[in-house]
Amino acid sequence: MSGGGMTLIQAAQALRSGHVSSSELTEQCLSRIERLNPSLNAFLTVTADAARAQARQADEERRAGMDRGPLHGIPIAHKDLFCTAGVRTTSGSKLFESYVPPFDAAVVERLREAGAVMLGKTNMHEHAYGITCDNPHYGPVRNPWDRERIPGGSSGGSAAAVVAGMCLMATGSDTGGSIRVPAAYCGVTGLKPTYGLVSKYGALPLSFSLDHCGPIARTVRDVAVSLAAMAGYDRRDPNSARGHAPAPLQDLLPPAEVDSLAGVRIGMPENFFFERLDTQVDNAVHFMAYRAQDLGAELVALRVPDGTQLNVISQVTLLVEAAAVHEPYIRKQRRLYGEDVSTLIDTGRLIPGVDYVQAQRLRRRAQGVYRSILKQVDCLLVPTTPIVAPMIGQAEVAVGGQAEAVRIASTRLVRGFNALGLPALGMPAGFTRGGLPIGMQLVGRAFGEKELFRIAAALEDATGHVGRQPELTD
Amino acid sequence: MRDWTAIAAGLKIELSERMKQTLEGLDKTMLGLRGLIDWQEEPILLCGVPPSEDDAE
Repeated sequence: MSGGGMTLIQAAQALRSGHVSSSELTEQCLSRIERLNPSLNAFLTVTADAARAQARQADEERRAGMDRGPLHGIPIAHKDLFCTAGVRTTSGSKLFESYVPPFDAAVVERLREAGAVMLGKTNMHEHAYGITCDNPHYGPVRNPWDRERIPGGSSGGSAAAVVAGMCLMATGSDTGGSIRVPAAYCGVTGLKPTYGLVSKYGALPLSFSLDHCGPIARTVRDVAVSLAAMAGYDRRDPNSARGHAPAPLQDLLPPAEVDSLAGVRIGMPENFFFERLDTQVDNAVHFMAYRAQDLGAELVALRVPDGTQLNVISQVTLLVEAAAVHEPYIRKQRRLYGEDVSTLIDTGRLIPGVDYVQAQRLRRRAQGVYRSILKQVDCLLVPTTPIVAPMIGQAEVAVGGQAEAVRIASTRLVRGFNALGLPALGMPAGFTRGGLPIGMQLVGRAFGEKELFRIAAALEDATGHVGRQPELTD
Repeated sequence: MRDWTAIAAGLKIELSERMKQTLEGLDKTMLGLRGLIDWQEEPILLCGVPPSEDDAE
């Protein structure tokens, strides 16, 4: 099996047993990048020579008896907003077109220490401020399942690269769904961890209190081992969570087969999350819930606070914080911004400070309400997006008989969880009749990633959705 | 409701119809949510707890 067909866990096993070397895996990925990137545009920068050198080092270390863990020798990619020492970091923008950081982001540092091999940097929505990845400066990322469709964003290059087998894992960031939306549209798995669990040091910011960094990979277990390497307190990130060291890998990684969910209570919201969905999305996500029930889980119908209101709280926070982040640049270098991003920044500049503060008060209240809900159930099971991947350039989509902006439709079921800071795992829930991926989210208690992984792994094992890859020609 | 055209003009920001609609929508919802605010509670903004001296180099 080639690197492109293997999961990260399978590749790690093959490396440990000596059936494949890191150099071989890296060459396989580089070959797929060379073949597929001209059409998918998932990578902005490929660091082939450095990757080969890192892979050789990993192989030498392994021959010398060193084992850094499951990521040792695994080819990965970083979203192009994570600073990489000596390697251009654009944030998908013209503004940072030539920015070469002198340091590594914490996530890059940690994954390198875990032995991962960096293949390059992935394309993204400009400044991570959008969900289409229709990048005005570097061209659109194309969805490997249908190249006329968006991969979702803003971490669309990472999700496209993973599902196309160009790498075995890629990093992403999620401020309003930017890991989970591309995971849904590309049919892969991605985690927005609990706020503070993964350091944001060296990740070019969009919104200080909403940004989360996390992994995107093909399976739940691939994501679990990646999180184990990425997570942990970092004093360089003022919002890094103390006292919540990541669970040791052996605890975080679900067992090889999870065949029972007995005793697990899964919350199924009666309001908001299942309103105005594409019928196929609705059916697929309910199918997953019934599979959980078959495995012994109890489905608990419940009501959640108005999601539209929580989205507004999140949106006000994002608009204002992003305007603050970009304030030094937008005034003097406006011409370096794409139109959609500069419009959002200008919108944020107009929101009064009093609204921002009130949004934080309301956010605090919503966090309390969700804390109570998650005392009654172990997690929520909801769709990631009400639709499947829209076409590139499509501005509106019809959902439940109503026209809705693609940006709003794509983010309305994910955005609120950024304001709450809760962990949300996006995973495949099935495919449409036309073969496009459908995504769902499992949302858990703060720092409850371990339980989320166990539930998700059981569902993954019980269904055949994971591991499907698109047939890709040049 | 706020006069977004005047606010934008004051800040010399070009206000498109789309921006105006977004701001009006947010304003309306935020106004409606005021009833849910606990006015006694001090909100936690961004980094609520500054790093302690132990964290210094």
